Formats: sequence, structure tokens, C-alpha cells
Amino acid sequence: MNLVYLSLAPALLAPGVGSRAARSVAPIALLGASAVQAAAAIAVALTVHESTPFAGGYLTTDATARLFLVVINVIFLGIAGYVWNRARTSPELKVVVSRFARLSLVFMGAANFVVLSNHLLASWVALEVTTLAVAPLIVREGVPSSRRASWRYFLFSSVGLGIALIGLMCLARSVESEGGTPTAFLHELRTLSGTPANLWRRIGLALVVLGYGTKLGLAPMYSWLPETYDEAPPAVTALLAAVQFNCALVCLVRVLQVYRAGDRELVSTELLVLGLLSMAVSTVSIIATRNYKRLIAYASINHAGVIAIGLAIGKSASYGVMLYVVSNAFIKAILFLTAGKIKAHYGTKDTREVAGLIKDLPYSGLFLMVGTFALLGFPPFGSFLGELIILSGLVRAKQITVFVVFCTLIALTFVATGRTVFPMIWGEPKKEVHWPRQSFVAAAPKLAFFVALVAMGLYMPQAVNSLFREVAASLGAE
Amino acid sequence: MTGLLIAFVITLLVPVFVGTWRTSLLGLAVQGALMASIAVHHGGGVLSLSIALSMFELVALRTVALPLALYLVLRTGDSPARNDVIAPNLFSWAMALALIVVAFRTADVLVPAEGDEQLLVAVASAALLLGMFVLATGRGEVSQVIGLMRLENAIALFELGSASGHEALAFRLGQTTILQVSIGFYRWYLIGLARDESTPGAAETTAL
Repeated sequence: MNLVYLSLAPALLAPGVGSRAARSVAPIALLGASAVQAAAAIAVALTVHESTPFAGGYLTTDATARLFLVVINVIFLGIAGYVWNRARTSPELKVVVSRFARLSLVFMGAANFVVLSNHLLASWVALEVTTLAVAPLIVREGVPSSRRASWRYFLFSSVGLGIALIGLMCLARSVESEGGTPTAFLHELRTLSGTPANLWRRIGLALVVLGYGTKLGLAPMYSWLPETYDEAPPAVTALLAAVQFNCALVCLVRVLQVYRAGDRELVSTELLVLGLLSMAVSTVSIIATRNYKRLIAYASINHAGVIAIGLAIGKSASYGVMLYVVSNAFIKAILFLTAGKIKAHYGTKDTREVAGLIKDLPYSGLFLMVGTFALLGFPPFGSFLGELIILSGLVRAKQITVFVVFCTLIALTFVATGRTVFPMIWGEPKKEVHWPRQSFVAAAPKLAFFVALVAMGLYMPQAVNSLFREVAASLGAE
Repeated sequence: MTGLLIAFVITLLVPVFVGTWRTSLLGLAVQGALMASIAVHHGGGVLSLSIALSMFELVALRTVALPLALYLVLRTGDSPARNDVIAPNLFSWAMALALIVVAFRTADVLVPAEGDEQLLVAVASAALLLGMFVLATGRGEVSQVIGLMRLENAIALFELGSASGHEALAFRLGQTTILQVSIGFYRWYLIGLARDESTPGAAETTAL
């Protein structure tokens, strides 16, 4: 269990790393702290096999915790590597990097707490802390629109988390109204939740889905997401899209694991409606946008929709959902970090101004290409396998109408994304090619994410696969 | 407790009809004080660390610190006195009243037994719906901050009537800290926004 505490410990470094005296060492301290966190997370996943609650019952190392602990910490290590490289090549970023190091360590401490939490309210509080830690990072000095985006993010997050908290209180009342003692500890809830659902539980679950769905960027409360992902610096966008997204998802999954154990049909309709609506909204937006960062952001809304549909189906789709979730975390990290590099080189986010990336910025062109194919669910990536399993789950559940709408929207997304992104990669360069030096060190984090993506589609070690299976089983997979 | 809850409904409605930011802030402060009174009534005279923390949150933060922090920012920024939290027309006012009726009807279904608990759920639901209404229609930043705080107060009121499981000290401590940091964020945002408006030509710095 000491290893688990080690994954939380680097947050304690935050005040020191952010101080004026430590500015010059902040990038390397951030990289070191994230490496320790990632190593501890991997060690926990490999060595801990029981899910007994500890730390007064507030923490657990069940399969969900172990899987997401590894995912978010490995991604954070990649982001820290990107930041370290940016600090190395752009000394003027010293103050910004120092601020990022301080707040991102607090963010990661809270994020790790969310995934390890065995207490619904404690994980809610920790998710709020991640929001408060990351909101100031969205602001870029001299860019008023980024401040408005930060406010919009905070506003929607607060409303979403507020709705989720009311949902959790309704769920507690549902237990109380049945004569039970309300609790927020997951291991205690598992023994209480087999009873038939009453009105309080139905309302509570619907509110939790809507509340955490807002944090995931599900329609109808999605409008903060494109603006925030567009305005935030790439490293912060990657934190939001690949780390915080998974934290919010873990919070939702925890609730579904315990409260749907007795009745898998609960909130299925709500999840299906939100999922399809999100996919429809994102498809229309992808067709309309000419901004590549926004395009990736809209694709994130699409992913959230697919995940919601997978969760609604449950059962056989659960394994696919988990595969899809983890794949998408890596895809979004690759794409947003690459988008940052492209913006820095071209000075624009307009897709029509960027062409011939594969000649101009070979590494970035390659990662944009790989990321786009993975984004669209091409083989051999994990997202392909995940999407395929979710689709087969829809057929097995006899949701043929949903299946048809799903396939239509995915096809439209594919055409719209390809039409916009492919000329950026293979088009004729619009300006003279400079061949700026792109070091292997800069590309290493994205390369590691790429290897993880391919591995999930082609071959997964037994230990990792069994983690996925355990999480899927907790969501109802046979 | 009925009187306190009816007073709470009045503090919800008055700022909707009297469109000045001072009225809205006063409404928020009175809501905090009323919730503190309800908490005392609910606690039945028992004092624990969790209840003490809850009282600190309701009195020091919700009644005093938050309205005061916003008041200082708005006064320093010479904000115009008028600030409608919803559009000042008959349709919006009718909607606000309709939402209160909906909230009370919902409470009838959720808590069939008449009494304080039913009224508390009704008032909390009304506060929640009106808060959402203010947020959905308010365009200005001040209206949005006020809408968010109305929503936060609705949640706090709902919490007062909820099960004892929520009174865990760790949760209460976490929530109080979050509220303090949130107040700091509101101030930081409004001050930064005023600064951005006064220096529109500031150069964009290199992004991370």
C-alpha cells in the first residue's frame, strides 16, 4: 500500500516547485515527480491484486482504480516530458512552466485520489479540486478569450458537479427511504444496492449521469468543451482531455457499478439519448469547423457519446467501452500535443492555412496522421476493437435503430474529418519548407502513446487484459 | 422552521424582480444567514466538529465573505447599479413563478408526508430551478456569478435536510475548502476581466 501513497505524494512538492527560487528546476522536478507517480502506479497495478479498502476505507485498489491509475499517470508523464522539452527550447516560458508545475502536481494528486477513492463524496470533492487546480492554467496572459474560456469551464464544471452532488444526495435518500443507513462507501453500498429502485434512486442516477456527463462533455451541456480545449495551452488541453476526462468517467462508472448492480436497465435510456445527441452535435460541428483544435475537441464529444452508448448497453459492450476509453485517452494526448506543435510552427489554427505537414513537420505530420486514423477507429488501434465490440453489443441488445444512427453518424464524422485533416497532412505545402529540427526527445512521449495504442489493438499482455476484463465484469460483462 | 423556509423563498424571488447587483448580493447574504438558522434548528442543540464547520461555512463564507468579496470587486470596478439576473419582462417573471410551482409539486411527489421535510425539499428545488434559470438566461459575468452562488446555496439547503451520512467531517472540510477557493476564483476572474478590458491591446505571450 506504500506504493499507492507514493502515487499521491508528489502533490506535496507543489508549493516548493512553484516557488520563485525553484523556477529553474521546476521542469525537471515536474518530470521527476511524474516519473515517480507513473512508476508507483505501474508497480501498484502489477503487484496489488486485492481490492480491500484502506486508509480508513476511503481508498481502494480494485481493478478500476488500478487500470485508471496507470492510464492517467503514464499520460501525465508524457505531458510532463512535453513541458520539460518546451521549457528547454523556450526559456521565456520559465514563469509559465513553474505555475504549470505547481498546479498540475496538485491536479494530479487530486486526480489520483479520484481514481483510488472508495467513497463517492470524497471522489466528488477530489474532482472539484482538479477543476479548481486546472481552471487558472487555461488562462494565457494577453488573451482575454482564454480568460472567458476558463470562466466558462469553471461555470459548467461547477454546475455539472453541483447536479452530480444533488444526485448523490438523492441516492443517499433512496437508501434512507428504504430504511437503510445512508453511506457513500462503495463496499457498504454494494451490500445495499440490490433492492428495487425507488423514485429517489431513479432521480439520483439521472442527475449523476447529467452532472458527470457535463464534465465529460456530453450534450446538452457540452458547449464549454470546444471553447476550453481550443483556448487552453496544449499541455493543459491534454490534461483536461486525457486525464480529467477519465477521472470524471471513473466517478460515473463507480456510481453505475454499485447502483445498477441489481437492475442493469436503470438510466439506460438517459445514457443512450445523451450519447446519440452528443454524437449528432459533434458530427454537425466537425462538418462546420475550420479550426483543427476545435475539430479534435468535437471528436472528444463524439467519443463521450460513444462511451455513454456503450455504458447504456453494458453487458458484452463493457469490455469494448473500457478499451475505447483507454485508447481515446492516448489518442487525445497525441493529437492535442501535436496540435500545439503545429500551432507554434504555423501560428494559426485554421485548417486551410496548414498543408503538407508530412513534408514540413515530419514527426507532427506522422502523429497527426496516426492520431486521426486512431480517432476514426481504424485498425490496428485499440479504438477500432473497442468500437467494434460496442457495435456488436448494440446488435446483441437488439438496439437496431441506435445501431443504424450510430453507424450513420460515425460515417459522416469519418468523411468530414478526412476532408479537413487529410489535406493538412498530404496537401501541397503553402509556404516554403524549412525542415525545422524536430528532436527525438520531443517526439518520445507521443511515440510511447502510439505504441500503447497499437498494443491495445494487436496484443495485450495477460496482466493488462485481465485488468480490463475485471473492470468490464464490474459493469455487467458476462 | 416553516417561517425560515418561507423567508428563504422571498430571498429567492426579490432579486429576480429588483434588478440590482446590491439586492442580489444582499439576497445571497440573507440566504446564508437563514441556512445557518435552519442548521441550528435541525441540529437540535447538539454541537460537533462537523456542525461547527458547517456553521463556519454558512455564516463566515456564505453570509459574509462571498457577498463582501463580490461587493468590493463590483464597487471598485464602478459596475452600473442595475443588473438584471433574468430578462426584465413578464414572460421571465411568469417563468420564475412557474418554476416555484413546479418545485413545490415535485416535492409533493418526492416526500408525500406534509411537514418541514417536504417544505425543505420544495424550497431547495425552487432555489435550484431558479438558479439554473438565472444561469441559463444571464449573459453578463456578474449575473453568472450570482446564478452560480444561488445554485450553490440551493445545494447547501438540500444538504441541510439530507441524511446524516453526508455530515462526515472529511467531506465537510473538503467542501468548505472548495468554497473558499471558489470565492478566490470569482474575485480573480472578475478582477482579471476588468484588467483585460482596460488593456485590450496586451501582447499574447508564448503558449506552453
